[in-house]
Amino acid sequence: MITRRIALATALGFSFATSAAFAQAPAGKVTVVTSFSKDVTDPIKKAFEKAMPGVTLEVQNRNTNAGVKYLEETRANNQVDLFWASAPDAFEVLKGKQLLTAYKPRATGIPEKIGSYPINDPQGFYSGFAASGYGIMWNERYAKANKLPEPKDWQDLAKPVFYDHVSIASPARSGTTHLTIETILQGEGWDKGWRTIKEMSGNFRTITDRSFGVPEAVNSGQVGVGIVIDFFAFSAQASGFPVKFVYPSVTTVVPANVGIVTNAPNKAAAEAFIEFLLSPNGQEVLLEPGIRRLPVNPAVYAKAGADYPNPFTDPRFQKMIGFDVDKSEARTAVVDTLFDQLISFQLDALKGVTKTLHEVDAALARKPNPQAKALADEARSLIAALPVTEVQSASAELRGAFSGAKEKGARQAEVESQWASFARDNYGKAKVKADEALKAAR
Amino acid sequence: MTAILATVSAKRLTATPGQIALALAIAAFLGLFLVLPVATVLYVAFTEKGTSTFTLVNIYDFVRTELFMRSLWNSFYVSAMSVVWASVVALPLAYLTTRFAFRGAALVQTLGFLPLIMPPFVGAVAMQLFFGRNGSVNLLLDDWFDFKIGFMEGLNGVIFVQSVHYFPFILINLSAALRNIDRAMEEAAQNLGSSGFRLFRRIVFPLAMPGYLAGASLVFVKVFDDLATPLLLNVKDMLAPQAYLRVTSIGIADPMGYVISVVLVVASVAAMWLSALALKGRDYSTTQRGGGGLARRVMTPFEAVYGYGVVILILALVLAPHLGLLLLSFATIWSFSPLPDAYTVAHYARVFGESSLYIKNTLIYASIAGGIDIVLGVAIAYLVLRTKLVGREWLDWAASAALAIPGVVLGIGYLRMFYGVTLPDGTPLASFWIMIVLALAIRRLPYALRACHAALQQISVSLEEAAENLGATKARTVRRVVVPLMAGGILAGFVTSFSTAAVELSATLMLVQSNSDAPLAYGLYVFMQSAAGRGPGAALGVVAVLLVALCTFLSQLIIERSQKAKGMGH
Amino acid sequence: MNAIASISTPALAVDIEGINLSYGANHVLKDVNLTIRPGEFFAFLGPSGCGKTTLLRLVAGFNQSDTGRIMIGGKDISNLPPWKRDVGMVFQSYALWPHMTVRRNVAFGLEERGVARAEIERRVDIALDLVGLGHLGERRPSQLSGGQQQRVAVARTVAVEPKVLLLDEPLSNLDAKMRVQVRRELRDLQRRLGLTTIFVTHDQEEANTICDRIAVMNDGVIQQIGTPMELYERPANLFVANFLGTANILAGGIVDSGTGRHFVIDGGIRVPIASDATVPKGAKLVFRPQHAGLTGPESPSGNALALPCVIAHREFLGASIRYGVRIGATEVAVDVPFQSGEELLEIGKAATLTLPQRLLLWLAA
Repeated sequence: MITRRIALATALGFSFATSAAFAQAPAGKVTVVTSFSKDVTDPIKKAFEKAMPGVTLEVQNRNTNAGVKYLEETRANNQVDLFWASAPDAFEVLKGKQLLTAYKPRATGIPEKIGSYPINDPQGFYSGFAASGYGIMWNERYAKANKLPEPKDWQDLAKPVFYDHVSIASPARSGTTHLTIETILQGEGWDKGWRTIKEMSGNFRTITDRSFGVPEAVNSGQVGVGIVIDFFAFSAQASGFPVKFVYPSVTTVVPANVGIVTNAPNKAAAEAFIEFLLSPNGQEVLLEPGIRRLPVNPAVYAKAGADYPNPFTDPRFQKMIGFDVDKSEARTAVVDTLFDQLISFQLDALKGVTKTLHEVDAALARKPNPQAKALADEARSLIAALPVTEVQSASAELRGAFSGAKEKGARQAEVESQWASFARDNYGKAKVKADEALKAAR
Repeated sequence: MTAILATVSAKRLTATPGQIALALAIAAFLGLFLVLPVATVLYVAFTEKGTSTFTLVNIYDFVRTELFMRSLWNSFYVSAMSVVWASVVALPLAYLTTRFAFRGAALVQTLGFLPLIMPPFVGAVAMQLFFGRNGSVNLLLDDWFDFKIGFMEGLNGVIFVQSVHYFPFILINLSAALRNIDRAMEEAAQNLGSSGFRLFRRIVFPLAMPGYLAGASLVFVKVFDDLATPLLLNVKDMLAPQAYLRVTSIGIADPMGYVISVVLVVASVAAMWLSALALKGRDYSTTQRGGGGLARRVMTPFEAVYGYGVVILILALVLAPHLGLLLLSFATIWSFSPLPDAYTVAHYARVFGESSLYIKNTLIYASIAGGIDIVLGVAIAYLVLRTKLVGREWLDWAASAALAIPGVVLGIGYLRMFYGVTLPDGTPLASFWIMIVLALAIRRLPYALRACHAALQQISVSLEEAAENLGATKARTVRRVVVPLMAGGILAGFVTSFSTAAVELSATLMLVQSNSDAPLAYGLYVFMQSAAGRGPGAALGVVAVLLVALCTFLSQLIIERSQKAKGMGH
Repeated sequence: MNAIASISTPALAVDIEGINLSYGANHVLKDVNLTIRPGEFFAFLGPSGCGKTTLLRLVAGFNQSDTGRIMIGGKDISNLPPWKRDVGMVFQSYALWPHMTVRRNVAFGLEERGVARAEIERRVDIALDLVGLGHLGERRPSQLSGGQQQRVAVARTVAVEPKVLLLDEPLSNLDAKMRVQVRRELRDLQRRLGLTTIFVTHDQEEANTICDRIAVMNDGVIQQIGTPMELYERPANLFVANFLGTANILAGGIVDSGTGRHFVIDGGIRVPIASDATVPKGAKLVFRPQHAGLTGPESPSGNALALPCVIAHREFLGASIRYGVRIGATEVAVDVPFQSGEELLEIGKAATLTLPQRLLLWLAA
């Protein structure tokens, strides 16, 4: 048996440590729940099955949240071996619910960190296999027709010229967008970060409910600019869509992960899959035009084209901020709910004020007016105001309201209702100020 | 369920033992596969956070939250307006194809049916390509006349898409009802000087009212409960999207998502109940001679021009998404331009391998689900309309309520109820593909039930009495007289259930356990999750539409044949 | 009754000229010509499938003929749609609209004609009173008996004061007792309104009892038109003779010898033919059962025809006795009035059947 294992390990180029847990060569079906699209899973499945004859990869496609829910609901009789998705938060949730088994990959050549982000879970419950950064993608034809400049940074999207041209996915629905929002908050600080986000949001055309909704809208030209994860733009470019992408200065690279589910029916094959993903063979598949993710093995970039972003050498990535995953995890629900209550569900009001403020700016540019400027600033402050401080956002009390915790406490609906009224009142007041400012400026 | 049991024992028997057994069997089925799974999910709405004790505070929260009340109102508004516009679209089609010797009536009925089988996601995507802010129409308008029309903006956009999507419910049910009207009813009115639209408004339409209301209430409830379209149009302040957003994200542990689901169920049942109330105390059985149907008139040239004009206009509108889908499936790049840059068949090559498996699964699942639905539909309609069994309406309401259960809720309920049950080989019952079929059957049962109900309502009881009088037992009467007379309605129900089951996604998504068990809709979902273009997804969508359309067209032919066989002519 | 005065319109004639109608290869009406006089109660009588209902529907405008025209009061209505013809039709199924009350059913035609509301209500009252259903106006059709439904259908039709009233088997859905009562009511109503009426039926008794004249139809062809008496006494052909009442038919051939024409019944019995009688080609000897008499085997004297026969069976009908007697191989019926105390003829005995020459009919198919 040992010889067989060694033979296999040699074939794959890995070295397996002896362990009582897997006394057999991996074989049979290995089931993976993933949020990745077929563009990603198909080539990897093909390569994996070629490298591992006798093992078939069974792909169950669910979005990240549904996948987590699914594992939770079926834990009593689990049939899934692996969970495979982008958002580290989802893995944190699974880990918290003891739905993941620790596994330390044996693959070599993978550094500790990408940018400033640790590639693997320190406790070993999940492993990063590809990195992604967040940024801005736009449709060139649309930009030309609407005379939009090229955006460089998040603040650019708050400029009047982008009014009604920007799209984002709701962070509550899209793990990657959540990371984007959290990155801005961590990079700029809680209050300034929200101000940036809200000023940007005043220019939103739509807030979609699927991550894919954004690149889809930008690709087809329904919306000009989208806030997306990099590989959406890269794979769209690879397909020939007239789109461009930029990493803003405040951004981060975060690894997409894979982890073994507790009580996996085919643990041996599950481990083999992780090893494959992290092997040079597996890492190279990520370079395919339809996938375009950033491998975590720096050596693999040698096989990529010159224009392929390399987070290990590209100086842009080195300046990127460090991402605190614990901080993010602690306030996930609060941040997402704040976004929905202050922005998604109040978008019309927010856009109304923003439009007026853009008009004020235009008027002030022609004829400065200190009174109007003061009023406009008041309005901006009202918009930027938050019902929750950074400390509160991570408090046990608020977390309890969203976690369905067993202890009694504030109800989610109650909290949401308060925040919604807060936003509605403030946007209403801001609108009054903005109108006054406009009157004064003219 | 308990209502039936209790009353059966408490009161004098008011039905034959066979009927009682049937009612109990249906009640057991609905209980096991609808009520209990849903209850395991929805009871949260009435429990206090943290303590699991009963409370109504969540309902209070719902009423107090501005967003939810706004959503509730928006849902009502959008649903009602969608019924209005769906009627505007469906009435002329139903009228023209059933009342006139209209060439290609079967084709119109099939094409008019197509929107219903537009698979999820791709419908709104394709509509965006034509009617979106930068869709073909608006790009051209902007180019030529310097203005744009917000077809797809906000609530009006939802109404637009929903009317186009769901009007076939009215078309199908109304057409079936129109076919069932005794010709003499119409001739009597003509004889008394009525013609044209007045005749339609005063006699034909009221007589077809059961069919119309069946369709209209379906449209109302479907729009009320639909979440995909508002979400794809980025309209969030409606109830169903709110429920979905909460149940599938941060609100998953919070009761509010389930409170909204309860509100959805209640509103849907209320809509069904109101439509039943509207028909109560009125006699609509007009098939006194056991068949016949309206005479088909030959159109005058003027009428023909007008008629074809209306039909072509409507079909052009409702087929736009399909045309968009077709273009997309052949397009290389389609971005901010009225038409794609270039065309290719590569997307079909990409999906070719997998599609046969999806097609096979879809056909199996949808036919079994459709079959279960019409059996249950006929049985429930019969119990409701022809027996005095106490509590029989509950069967009707329970089955109709399925319409209002969000697919996600049903899916989660199935997982909770059946995952613990293991099959002999150790796999959980919930991962057996038959569960997908059962979920589909439950989700689509209301369609078949409405159709069967309307069909039976139009059959005069005297026809059954005649059979019983000639010595046929109740069961034999149903088999030999009732079912054949209902054939048109039953088939319409089957077609609706089958074709909508074939493109159902939300519950399927929760229950599909492996690619080899996956139906087309799941494949579509997977293919559409791609930033590299919608081409392969669109190609699979075209395959799905063609497949279901073909099945529908065949059924339509059968309906036409059976009508002819029943003696339309002399 | 002033009700009648305010409903009746001047009676009009109906002319049907040269009507042909085919459905594919099926020639349903063949060169139909007839004139219905103003105020006449006229029947289309024939077995099912003879084309009578089709002809009625042609008058109402629900079918289109291939050739010919239909005139009402001298005006060609062939090209008018049903709703402009102003002919009232009572349907076999009554076709009462279940979603309307009785009153709304009756008011319908008036509403379609744009009659003022008050006038509508007045005339609905009159029409309902006319059929004796004034008290049931708010009921729905399903709450009425068959006879009541039938009367509502009539009221609905006459309320619009049609030029002609068409009745499509109006009695067929009623029980036997109701049928007798309703047909009398129909007759009375028609008399009072003076309305030209066409009545379609397959029941000769119905036609005979209430109609002024009858057109007997078979196979899309009008066989004969006449009063009930004419049709009975002088049927134009075997079909009419057979369809109206019982007819005894003896087959045979005509022999023209020196002593005049004879009809040789199959089996050899010779019957002299009166010199003034017209005998069509291929004719058969036809007589009604009550026109014949029966005596003992001895041949009676006199002008009457005497045919030897054998009594096959007999039925006591109360007022008369019906004997079945065999002439050669043919069995015929003979009705003999029953007189109290009379001795009946024995079955199996030979007898003589007597027939007055003037009551003999010579009819071809």
